Amino acid sequence: MTTTDIFIALPMLLPAIGALLTLLIGAVTRDDRAGTTIGVATTLAAALWLLQTPPAMVAPTLGLSAAPLPRLFGAFLALLAAGTLCLSHGYNRERGISGEEYPATVLFATFGMLSLTSATNLLTLFLGLEAMSFGFYILVAIDLKRATSGEAGLKYLLPGALSAAFLAFGIALLYCVSGTLSIHDALQLTLTGGRPDPVALAGWACFLAGIAFKLSLAPAHLWTPDVYQGAPAPVTAFLSAGSKGATVLLLLLLLPQATDAALLRVPLWGLAVISVIVGNLAALLQSRVRRLLAYSSIAQMGYVVIALISGRGGGYQAAAFYAIAYGVITLAAFGAITALERSGCGETLDDYRGLGSSRPFASGVLALAMFALAGIPPTAGFTGKFLIFTAAIRSGEIILAVIGILLAAVSVYYYLRIVIALYMGRPAQVPASGSRLMENVVLAVASFIIFFLGVWPAPLLEVLKQIFA
Amino acid sequence: MTQVPLLSLLLFLPLIGAFLLLFLGRRDRPARIIALFIGLAETLLACSAWFCQVNLLPAAAPKGFFLFEDLPWIEMLGIRYTLGMDGISLLMVILTALVTVIAMLVSWRSIDERVSLHYLLLLAMESGIMGVFLSLDLFLFYLFWELMLIPMFFLIFIWGHGRNIYSAVKFFLFTLFGSLLMLLAIIAIYLIHGSQSGGVYSFGLAELLGTRFSLTTGLWLYAAFLLAFAVKFPIVPLHTWLPDAHTDAPTAGSVILAGLLLKTGAYGLIRFGFPLFPEAARTLTPLLIALAVTGIIYASWVAFAQKDMKRLVAYSSIGHMGFVALGIAVWTPVALSGAVLQMVNHGLTTTALFALVGMLDERAHTREIKDFGGLWGKIPIFSAFFMLFAMASAGLPGLNNFVGEFLVLIGSFKTAQLATVLAFIGIILPLVYTVRLVQEVIFQEERRSLPLSDLTLRELSILAGLALGDLYIGLHPAPLLEILKTPVALLTGGAP
Repeated sequence: MTTTDIFIALPMLLPAIGALLTLLIGAVTRDDRAGTTIGVATTLAAALWLLQTPPAMVAPTLGLSAAPLPRLFGAFLALLAAGTLCLSHGYNRERGISGEEYPATVLFATFGMLSLTSATNLLTLFLGLEAMSFGFYILVAIDLKRATSGEAGLKYLLPGALSAAFLAFGIALLYCVSGTLSIHDALQLTLTGGRPDPVALAGWACFLAGIAFKLSLAPAHLWTPDVYQGAPAPVTAFLSAGSKGATVLLLLLLLPQATDAALLRVPLWGLAVISVIVGNLAALLQSRVRRLLAYSSIAQMGYVVIALISGRGGGYQAAAFYAIAYGVITLAAFGAITALERSGCGETLDDYRGLGSSRPFASGVLALAMFALAGIPPTAGFTGKFLIFTAAIRSGEIILAVIGILLAAVSVYYYLRIVIALYMGRPAQVPASGSRLMENVVLAVASFIIFFLGVWPAPLLEVLKQIFA
Repeated sequence: MTQVPLLSLLLFLPLIGAFLLLFLGRRDRPARIIALFIGLAETLLACSAWFCQVNLLPAAAPKGFFLFEDLPWIEMLGIRYTLGMDGISLLMVILTALVTVIAMLVSWRSIDERVSLHYLLLLAMESGIMGVFLSLDLFLFYLFWELMLIPMFFLIFIWGHGRNIYSAVKFFLFTLFGSLLMLLAIIAIYLIHGSQSGGVYSFGLAELLGTRFSLTTGLWLYAAFLLAFAVKFPIVPLHTWLPDAHTDAPTAGSVILAGLLLKTGAYGLIRFGFPLFPEAARTLTPLLIALAVTGIIYASWVAFAQKDMKRLVAYSSIGHMGFVALGIAVWTPVALSGAVLQMVNHGLTTTALFALVGMLDERAHTREIKDFGGLWGKIPIFSAFFMLFAMASAGLPGLNNFVGEFLVLIGSFKTAQLATVLAFIGIILPLVYTVRLVQEVIFQEERRSLPLSDLTLRELSILAGLALGDLYIGLHPAPLLEILKTPVALLTGGAP
């Protein structure tokens, strides 16, 4: 192991070390403040490291790369983890989730995400993905006092294990065909654009099935509503923003390296259309805020897949932009939900009535996030959708674009329902608990980024353009 | 060239004001005063633009525009921050500033809940509408086009009454549905232009104007634009959101909706729809004319049956916008000038009528025509204004609406005779329901004793200002027509 290897691996090592340290400290004190502090510090350090150091060469011995795209997403995911930890502190205290295992597991999941992002090897990729998923299996079920949390954990674990099996089998089949685990070579050899090898075809089918689960694309979406509803709110934020962001990145690492990804167009097309339709239409019927957002996330991932299909027309950039934008928006949305639930707010739309006047800041952020998800300018959501539709039309996917935009119009209705609930009628009797500084900082930063990416997306677009050029 | 970025100031001053109001919390009086101050300053700025018409601009500015600002924004995608003002936008900008101030004054007393939020939204809306009237970049235009929906949605839904949520959502969905398809069309033009110009992608209107389409493509894209604009207009089969929105909106909301938002649809058609797709527009002209005339007659017909005064005004408003649609559809210089003038007229008159109905509603808490009667004896000043604006709306010569409608009819007679003759009936119908309205509300015997008091100074100043505008345009429209001459000639393809 050379110094370069350590340099490249450092961002992954930092959260891992942080996790171990947290567990050790837990043996001394039961106060989880120390764990949270360590967690925030190590994830921020990892993010800074990724943003500051120059791109390095591949570290072949480790199967890790430090190319610009993994570093950008690594920093983004590390910052998400820091945000999640900040949000969790107050929430967990109020919910009675205590102990050092919570921050340690978040850090461990972060470690998995960062390994996944910098993988150059199908095996590292799989290990990273599974490390991340393991973290989430625990985090979803960590609220031991609530039956729903345990139920959600089980509902996430069982299909998760199945999808892991699919992924592993898919990777194995791809290995059979190509004889290499290197992502680049395997892609070149299995997606050639000519007549597909049947084994490669089966491999990609298994692989996509596994990915569809992770991204909660219909028809592999059934776990999503229950998990979104049962998990602690900050975990849902992390799951929705981080796990999906990392999975989108995984596709972004793979697809552009293919000689010709046309083979995947048809299955991805189907996944995108079904997700957009099922997600948006099912969300219309929901009366619980979190379930509504779960279905909305299914639809939103459908839009990301539309971008991935239109890769050649600038779709990869659009997908990367949208993954980041969506991550920030869901962090804001579930951050606001964290703040509201912490003070005893229920989970149905009726419970949210009138919160606009009793909790103006959190409600304002939630409303902003809803408008952003609906794609109203000047928010990050609008810029993202704009890029996706531009890419789709440029690649000739007119039908996909029209279906997408019509359902986006439908989606506005259910996003508005949340906004309406927030600002209608008399404020409900919510015991006002003091707002927490860390929580407010996260919400404020997320809101700022939502606006910033809506009004001035040029810097991020410039970076992405260079990456995919 | 312009030392003071007047257009950017116009665009951002209300937004800055809105931002200030964010920090006022529950302090109502300062909120009202600051908002009004910003509104008045904006009006002053808008009027000062009138005197900038002599300015010489750099060659980059499109013809006919006397104020122009152009900065790079998202260069990678060819998106620029391009603002420009010609005669048409000048009139619209002044109207916007004026109507916003009136909306603020109208809600001075009637809004006593979440006051600073209310004024914040009014200012944010003003910025959005200004942006629509000033943008010369399609991306920028679309941004403002959607942006102005949000404040209006909240205005109807938070301060509205009756089925306010239903109406607010209906308004939002109708308008958004149309505009999302326009977004796809905008992207498509952008890409087609890019491929024709050899990879130079741009959203700038000036660049996109020369883009050629096959007739089918052009028709599809134009249809998407037309849908977005027709919903706002509203052109008849797409109008159903408007009466509901008006019925349930607070007075300030109705004033802005009728006075300004409807104009954005017409403006979009003039600025973008026709110039971008001349061929497709010509192909669909008969359809547009037919819809416009149907709208004129149908809306007047329905207005006649209304029992609620506000709904009556709302339908009459659809009818008047039908004339604007007709003027745009035939696309001759005279008709187009008439249409733009009619937009201003409609802005002044309908605003006044909604304000008047709002004042009655504030006092009597009812808007049913059958509840009123004999106002002439009880509140004479109010009744006088009511009469004046009702007559203006009915198109009495000497008042503003007459001029606009007359010009539209003259301009369209040559190209669309049958439509013009039918539209002429549409001039008579408003007279019928207006006379009935005036007769029942003002002159008939009192039917219920209602607690009515005459106008306060604030209300008097609102109405007097609008009345002066009505009279001025009615008697001496020449200066306005002079301003419109160059841009209209350029748009319709004649010599300036």
